[in-house]
Amino acid sequence: MNESPFENLRLELRRGCLVLAVLAQLRAEHYGYTLRKALAEDGLEIEESTLYPLLRRLETQGLLVSEWREEDKRNKRFYRLSKDGKVVLKQLLEEWRGMGESLDRILKEVKV
Amino acid sequence: MNLLNRYLQAVARLLPKARRDDIIAELRANILSQMEDREQELGRSLTEDEQAAILRHHGNPTIVAGRYREDNLGLAFGRQLIGPELFPFYKMSLTVNLVITVVVLAALIPAIAHATGGAITLTRALIPLVTQFVVVTLIFVVLDRNKAHVLDKWDPRKLPAVKANPDDGPTAANIFTFIVTAIGTLWLALTPRWPYLLLGPGALYLPQLGLQAMPSWPIFYQVIVAALCARLALQFFIVFRWLARPKARMVDVILRGVSLSVCVLLLLKAPNYVTSPYPDIAYWANLNFEICVIVGGVINLWGTGRALFSLLRERHQMLPARQY
Repeated sequence: MNESPFENLRLELRRGCLVLAVLAQLRAEHYGYTLRKALAEDGLEIEESTLYPLLRRLETQGLLVSEWREEDKRNKRFYRLSKDGKVVLKQLLEEWRGMGESLDRILKEVKV
Repeated sequence: MNLLNRYLQAVARLLPKARRDDIIAELRANILSQMEDREQELGRSLTEDEQAAILRHHGNPTIVAGRYREDNLGLAFGRQLIGPELFPFYKMSLTVNLVITVVVLAALIPAIAHATGGAITLTRALIPLVTQFVVVTLIFVVLDRNKAHVLDKWDPRKLPAVKANPDDGPTAANIFTFIVTAIGTLWLALTPRWPYLLLGPGALYLPQLGLQAMPSWPIFYQVIVAALCARLALQFFIVFRWLARPKARMVDVILRGVSLSVCVLLLLKAPNYVTSPYPDIAYWANLNFEICVIVGGVINLWGTGRALFSLLRERHQMLPARQY
């Protein structure tokens, strides 16, 4: 019972961060699996069943563009940041940094 | 990769049809890459248990498919009762239940009203609908609260075997289409010689009616019969898998385009398809012919649009034939 509120809040916290991380990572082109590996190498593990549909949603929103291309004798769908995506990423990063600075100031006074 | 095919088939069944092939092709590429990476780590091929572990980690097909739903809807009264993963299935179950209930009610209410002398109120009639709604909603709320336990208990090795692809050979549907096309072509080719096939006993009155086809009709007729013969040949090749699906689609689009063009050109000739010394007979014959051409044109337009859309989508996505 005690874990449930934490788990819900953790998921909520992660949700927004994941979008930011995915957009930032897709400044360079990736297909689903290599993107997941790249995120994991940077310490952000994400389930396949969360990441792949997320890519589709971001593409539908116009933040990503994709194309099917053959690599290693297999067709793969490669994603990268769109023009609109670059603008949104910049705005989100500013927001993220602003929030980070505010949180740092707030947390200085909190002993956990 | 039998296990992977079974897994993708299970996911595909729950995906929206319009995006199904595209999503499955992407999932296949991603999972295969993951399996290859694992094989490189181990320096050998994966066992069935290892493949199953990767698929289990990838997620229950129901959850995976649910996450691809773009609407992302859920049911909430203050707090969320049914999440977006299960909501599409909740909506589908509720719709099926309510439709069946409405149909049964529509059939029974007049009988009950008759038997009870009209003593059936709207409230009474609505009770089964409300009951259905409450029961189905409660089942899904409980399922959603326990989805982690319920949906986690699955094994890729217990997924159903891969069903034969309708494009993969002499299926009943392909053979049926071939037979129907053959009968239709033969019927049209024999009609000028035996008008009885088209008009039945009315063919006996044909000489008295003095109907004359327009001068360009023989050309139209020959093109229509030739197009039907070409479609018959195409269907024959499809039945025996002598033509790859992309090529078959291309030929299909071309043939539909020809049929559509014939319909358009025939419509431009309206309403002078036949002449007769009797104006009323000529009027009705031309009207009937025109209606047939319009119906044929609409069917062909729809078919051409669909075939063209499928062809372009496959080309755009560079998708090979369905692989699951």
